[in-house]
Amino acid sequence: MAAVAVHQFAPCITCHAWSPDRSMVAFCPNNSEVHIYKLSEDKWEQAHILQKHDQIVSGIDWSSRANRIVTVSHDRNSYVWNYEGSEWVPTLVILRLNRAALCVQWSPQENKFAVGSGAKTVCICYYEQENNWWVSKLIRKRHNSSVTSVAWHPNNILLATTSTDGKCRVFSTFIKGVDTRDSKAGSSSDSKFGEQILQLDLSFSWAFGVNWSPSGNTLAYVGHSSTIYFVDDVGPSPLAQNVAFRDLPLRDVLFISEKVVIGVGFDCNPMVFAADESGMWSFVRFLGERKTSSTGPKYGSQFSEAFGKLYGQSKHSINNDGIDNSRQRGGVHENCITCIVPLGEAGSSTITRFSTSGLDGKVVIWDLESQQDLLEYL
Amino acid sequence: MANSLRLYLTCIRNTLEAAMCLQNFPCQEVERHNKPEVELKTSPELLLKPILICRNEAEKCLIETSINSLRISLKVKQADELENILTKKFLRFLSMRAEAFQVLRRKPVQGYDLSFLITNYHCEEMQKHKLIDFIVQFMEASFHPLHLVLWSVVNYFKYYAFLWTY
Repeated sequence: MAAVAVHQFAPCITCHAWSPDRSMVAFCPNNSEVHIYKLSEDKWEQAHILQKHDQIVSGIDWSSRANRIVTVSHDRNSYVWNYEGSEWVPTLVILRLNRAALCVQWSPQENKFAVGSGAKTVCICYYEQENNWWVSKLIRKRHNSSVTSVAWHPNNILLATTSTDGKCRVFSTFIKGVDTRDSKAGSSSDSKFGEQILQLDLSFSWAFGVNWSPSGNTLAYVGHSSTIYFVDDVGPSPLAQNVAFRDLPLRDVLFISEKVVIGVGFDCNPMVFAADESGMWSFVRFLGERKTSSTGPKYGSQFSEAFGKLYGQSKHSINNDGIDNSRQRGGVHENCITCIVPLGEAGSSTITRFSTSGLDGKVVIWDLESQQDLLEYL
Repeated sequence: MANSLRLYLTCIRNTLEAAMCLQNFPCQEVERHNKPEVELKTSPELLLKPILICRNEAEKCLIETSINSLRISLKVKQADELENILTKKFLRFLSMRAEAFQVLRRKPVQGYDLSFLITNYHCEEMQKHKLIDFIVQFMEASFHPLHLVLWSVVNYFKYYAFLWTY
């Protein structure tokens, strides 16, 4: 089985992140707190609760080198938490947002982080030593609707964003004083802050879940019309492919190697997409087993009894056999999967372990070591 | 007749399985608020195309989806005045107890008899396939009693008309 470990932490989980040594997990149980659980002797214990936000925490990211947690919430605030002594201490972030923050990600060098918001802006935050706070620069003009997902390119300067207006955009986030101009990087380091490098108008519906490949050559994002888009050679002349599939839409994607992508979404089952030698992407298979149980009509029978009582009929059976009940999708997760996080070492080009969390409150760790047919694609 | 009912309900079930992909989405218009976008309708990019499924001229089902909410409006067949009154009474009885149902809307959408409003919070608390089962079985169950009550009322009047005239 590809799912190695399943933990039920809460009734519903919004998002999660792992510590650098993978012994602790931070998640939001669909309220304004962040719970941190520690694995000690095969049991998960609650280690800390971070309580500073007023509304639901929509994004958590744990940086791997500096051991800092950044959280963003629907209350327009963000905090960067540092572990001092035995407590997590929040540092103020001047986000300058007037709507909810939807997603967050640390940059590869962890000197900046990007926040996507419902104010149709993206905030890039960096640390100011003199005042001990994080200041932001906003990318204001380009988005026509809420920014649902952000992803950093490995060069620490390019940022891809997806929005509910259906478009994926790539911006340059070069900040003087924080980033250094690298002569080898080429055109990306010549751009000013907030300059739009590329706008991809491939999706007819909302776009979610953007991710770069480990080398930064390929970009993948998901559209709500049950399609996933792959863009190679991001630059002046990109090559785009879209793969449409039969099932429910995806919410998030992850590159586990240059040629394999895992997508998670409303099907409650991770989907594997792979590219062949010629570069054509296609759907390979689902990762978990698919349950096809038809559960008994509990609601139906209660209704028929209720109607019987209302209208004084002693027995009126409602025939349910002709109409099939909806089958429960997916095996391990019981509700939509919202978040997928890699569990390898930071910066490695191939990952075989990753974790998913969903609205059923479970965090599931998947390992592809046992899946021989998929290891060939890596 | 049973066959077309089954097709109608299967079509509705399949549409609901695709439409009920909802997620938590904070309001873009007002800060710190979270409203069902299908009711608000202020941001057109957040709404999907409504789907109208008609069984015949008198029975139809309108499904409107947005990013965080879904609205299902039903119109049931009312052949004559008596059925009209019975339907109104029965559905008003249900709508007044909308809190117990959680997914029922207190007032039906203009032009329809009954409306459901499902938000992302319902999908988080309850399982999606159970919600769809509930709605389809509700529709199925609501087709039966009205006809039977109507028949029993008509037969009652026929019987007593017979008694009075002979």
